[in-house]
Amino acid sequence: MKKNLWVVLLVLAGVAAAAWWRFHVPSETQSVVVYVSHDEVFSEPILRDFEKETGIRVRAVYDTEETKSTGAMNRLMAEKNNPQADVYWANEPIRAEVLRQQHIAAPYLSLNADGIPARFRDPQGYWTGFAARARVLIVHKDENPKPTSVFSYADPRWRGRTVIANPLFGTTTDQIAALFVLLGDDRARAFMQGLHENGVKLSPSNGDSADLVARGQFAFSLVDSDDVVNRMKQHEPVTMIYPDQGADEIGSLIVPNAAVLIAGSPHQDAGKKLIDYLLSKETERKLAFSDAAQIPLHPDVATPPGLQPIESIKIMTVDYAAIATKLQAIQSFLKSWAES
Amino acid sequence: MEKRVTLAAGALALTVIGLMPVLMIVASTFYVAGEFSLTTYQALLASSKQLAPLMGRSVLLSLSVTLLAMMVGTPLGVLLGKTDLPLRGAFTMLVTLPLLLPPYVIAVAWFAVLGSTGWIGRFLAPTTSEFLSSAFFGFYGCIGALSTAFMPVVMLLTIAYLGTVNPRLEQAGLLMSRWPSVLWGITLPLIARAILFAAVLVFLLTLGEVGVPTFLRYPVYPVEILTQFAAFYDFSAATAAAIPMLIITAVILVLEIRLLHTSALELSAATIGRRNAPIELGRWRFPLFGLALVWTLVMVALPIAELIVQSASLSAFADAFSRASDSILRSVVFAAIGATLLTLLGFFCGYLIHNRTLPLWRSIDALALFLFTLPGTVIGIGLISLWNRPITNAIYATPAIIILGYLAQYAVLPTRMTAATLQRIPPSLEQAAQLCGASWFMTLRHIVAPLAKRGLIGAWIIAYIFCLRDLGITLVVYPPGFDTLPVRILTLMANGAPSLIAALCVILIAVTLLPFFVGALWQTRAGRPP
Repeated sequence: MKKNLWVVLLVLAGVAAAAWWRFHVPSETQSVVVYVSHDEVFSEPILRDFEKETGIRVRAVYDTEETKSTGAMNRLMAEKNNPQADVYWANEPIRAEVLRQQHIAAPYLSLNADGIPARFRDPQGYWTGFAARARVLIVHKDENPKPTSVFSYADPRWRGRTVIANPLFGTTTDQIAALFVLLGDDRARAFMQGLHENGVKLSPSNGDSADLVARGQFAFSLVDSDDVVNRMKQHEPVTMIYPDQGADEIGSLIVPNAAVLIAGSPHQDAGKKLIDYLLSKETERKLAFSDAAQIPLHPDVATPPGLQPIESIKIMTVDYAAIATKLQAIQSFLKSWAES
Repeated sequence: MEKRVTLAAGALALTVIGLMPVLMIVASTFYVAGEFSLTTYQALLASSKQLAPLMGRSVLLSLSVTLLAMMVGTPLGVLLGKTDLPLRGAFTMLVTLPLLLPPYVIAVAWFAVLGSTGWIGRFLAPTTSEFLSSAFFGFYGCIGALSTAFMPVVMLLTIAYLGTVNPRLEQAGLLMSRWPSVLWGITLPLIARAILFAAVLVFLLTLGEVGVPTFLRYPVYPVEILTQFAAFYDFSAATAAAIPMLIITAVILVLEIRLLHTSALELSAATIGRRNAPIELGRWRFPLFGLALVWTLVMVALPIAELIVQSASLSAFADAFSRASDSILRSVVFAAIGATLLTLLGFFCGYLIHNRTLPLWRSIDALALFLFTLPGTVIGIGLISLWNRPITNAIYATPAIIILGYLAQYAVLPTRMTAATLQRIPPSLEQAAQLCGASWFMTLRHIVAPLAKRGLIGAWIIAYIFCLRDLGITLVVYPPGFDTLPVRILTLMANGAPSLIAALCVILIAVTLLPFFVGALWQTRAGRPP
C-alpha cells in the first residue's frame, strides 16, 4: 500500500510537471521574445506594462554587466540561422548597427518613430533610437577650473588625475570609435597616446569611474549622463559637464537605446507591436523619470531634472554606421592600448 | 544481458549529453567560414604574450585558494569529523552553507560587510575603509570569497573519508602513542589521496570561476574568454581561447588518476568494524570550540547575516517576490526535475563504476569528473553549438536545454554517491536473488533500491542543491522567459537596489536549504540520526 502511494505520488508529480511545462510555453501567436541589453531593473517594468496593455506575453532574456552587457548580442549572433528572438532592445545603437551589417536585423519603420530626429534612426528602419544617454564629464566639485572637453584628458594640468572606463567595452568603445571617425586614424591614435603619456588610469566600467571621481580620487572622467545623475541624486560632490559645446568644438556623443526587429524571427507581428511600444512617447517618459534617467528624443516629452533637453545639447555629428565599422576595425588597437 | 544493455545506455546518455557538446566546440574551432582552418589557433598563439600572464594569474589564484582551503578545511574536517568538539553537526552545516550558494553571492555578501556602508566599513576611517575596499576588489578579495565557497569541499571530503579509515589501524597506533601522533602518522596518510582529490577539485573549480573575479575586478583567464565573446563577437577565437582551459583540466585529472594509481572513488572503502570513539580534546575542547566558532561567525555568519539585515524589510521581500516569483518557482521545478533525472542517470553510471560491468567504467568515471570541473559557460556554449538547430527546437527553445546542462555538469555527484552507497551493500544479496531466478530489474527493485534508498535520497538532495545554485550553464542557455533565480539575481544586480538583491539572495538560500531540512526532518522522524 505504502509503495503504491509512492508510485501514485510520483505519477501525479510527473503529470503536474508536464502540465506546468505545457502551459508555461505560450502559444506562438500570443507571445514575443525580446533580448534586452538595457538594465533589467529599468526595462522589466516597461515590458510588463506592454503585456498588460496588449495581452501579448513577453519572454525576455536580460543581459548582465557580468558579461559586459553583450551576452544577448552574442546569443543573437549564435542564433543567426535559427533565430529565437523577435526584438533586440539594445542599450546603444552601435550593436544594433553591427546586427544590421551582419544581416541579423530586419527593416521596420514604426509610425511611433515620427518626431525622433533622423540622426537617431537608421534610414531604412533596421534600428530606431529612443531614450538616450549623453557622454558627459563627471567632475569633482572641488575642481577649479573645470575641464570642458574630452581633450582635457591630454592636458598636463590634469596629469595623473583622470580616469576612463576600459575602452574595450560599452559606451567608452563607442566614444573612442567616434573620435577615430571624426578625427581620422592618425590624430585619434595620437590622442590615445596622449592619454597614456598624461597618466590616465583605467577603470572596469563607467560606474566605477564615476565612483572614483565622487570619492575625490580623480578629478574627472568621461561617463554616461545617467551615471552622473544618479551620483547627484545621492548628493555626491560631483557636477555634470557636457563636453565640447563651443561653436568650433565637436559636441557631445549621444547614445540612444535602439529597437531592432530580428530577421526571420517567429513572431514578427508581435515584435513590431513591441517596437511600436518601445518607441512611444509614454515609454520615453517612463525611462526619463525613472532612475534610468534617459534623455527623451521625442521633442514634446519633458526632460527630467538634472539633464538638458536634447535640443539644447551640441551633439557630436557622427554616423553610427561608421562608428560600428570603425569599432570593429580598431578593436585590436584598443586591446593593445588597454594592455600597454 | 538486460544489465549490460541498460548500463551501456546510461553510459551512452552521459556521453551524448556531456561529451558531444564539448567535442562540438572543439571541432568548431577548426572551421572558419565552413572550411578547415588553423587561423584561430594561429591568432591564439600570436596573442600568447597577453594570454600567458592571465593564465598565470588564474593558476596563482587557484593555487592560493587551494592552499588556504586545504590549510583550513583539513584540520576543520578532522576537528568536526573525529573529535568530541561540542555542536559538531551544527558547525558542519553552517560551514557547508557557502558551498550551496553561487560563489558570487558570497562575494556580494562580503562586499556588503566590507563596503563603505557595510557593518565593518562604516566604522572605519575613510582611508582605512578605502584601503580595505581596494584590497577586497582584487586578488585578496577573490581568495577570501572563493576560499569561503570551496573550503567545505575539503572539509566534507576529509570528514567523509575519515569514516572509512580502518579503526584497527588507529587502535594499533594508540597502543604505542597518543592521538596527535596517530592522526599525523596513520590517519592523515591513509586519507592523503582523498585530500589530494579535494585539492584537485578546489583547484579546478577556482580555475573555471568567472563570477567572482568579474565582480571583484580581477582579470583572470576565463574572464579573458568572456572578453573574446564580449568585445570581438568572435566565437571561434573565444572557443579556441577556451581550449587551454580544457587541456589544463584534462591534464590535471589524468595526473591525479596516474599519481593515485586509482580512481578517487576507490578511496571510499566500506567502514570496517566499529568506528573508534571520538578523540577527547580535553583542555583543548573549549579553545578549539572558540576557534571554530570564530571562523564560522566571521567567514559564514557575518556575511550572510549582513544580507539578512539588508533585506529585513517587508517592502524588500514584496518587491523580490513581485519581480522574481516566477523565477523562484522555475528554479525549484527545474532543480527537482534535474535532480530526479540526475539520480536516475547517476544510479546507472554509479552501478556501472561499482560493478565494473563494462570495460569503459573508468572512462565514464573520468568523463563525469571532467565535465564537473569544466566551466559552466564552456558546457553552455557547447550545448548551443549542438542543439541550436530548427530540428531540435523542442530542446533548444524549451527548458529541456537547461536540464541537459544539469545532466552534463553534475552527473558526477549522484554517480559517485551511488557508487559509494552500493559499496555498503553486500554483493551476496544480489547474487542470492539471481540464484533464485530474479531478473536484474527485479533485483534492483526489491533489493538494491530499498537498501540504497538513503544514499539515493542524499544524492537527490545534493543534485537538487547544485542544480538550484547553477549559474554558468543556465545564464548561457536559458530560453527566453525561463530564467532561474540565480540568473535573475545576477541580472538585477545592475542598478538594482541592494535591499532587493539581498532579499533575493536570502530567498535563494532558503529555497536551496528547503529539501535539506525536509530530508533531515524525515530522517529524524524515521528515528535515524540526521
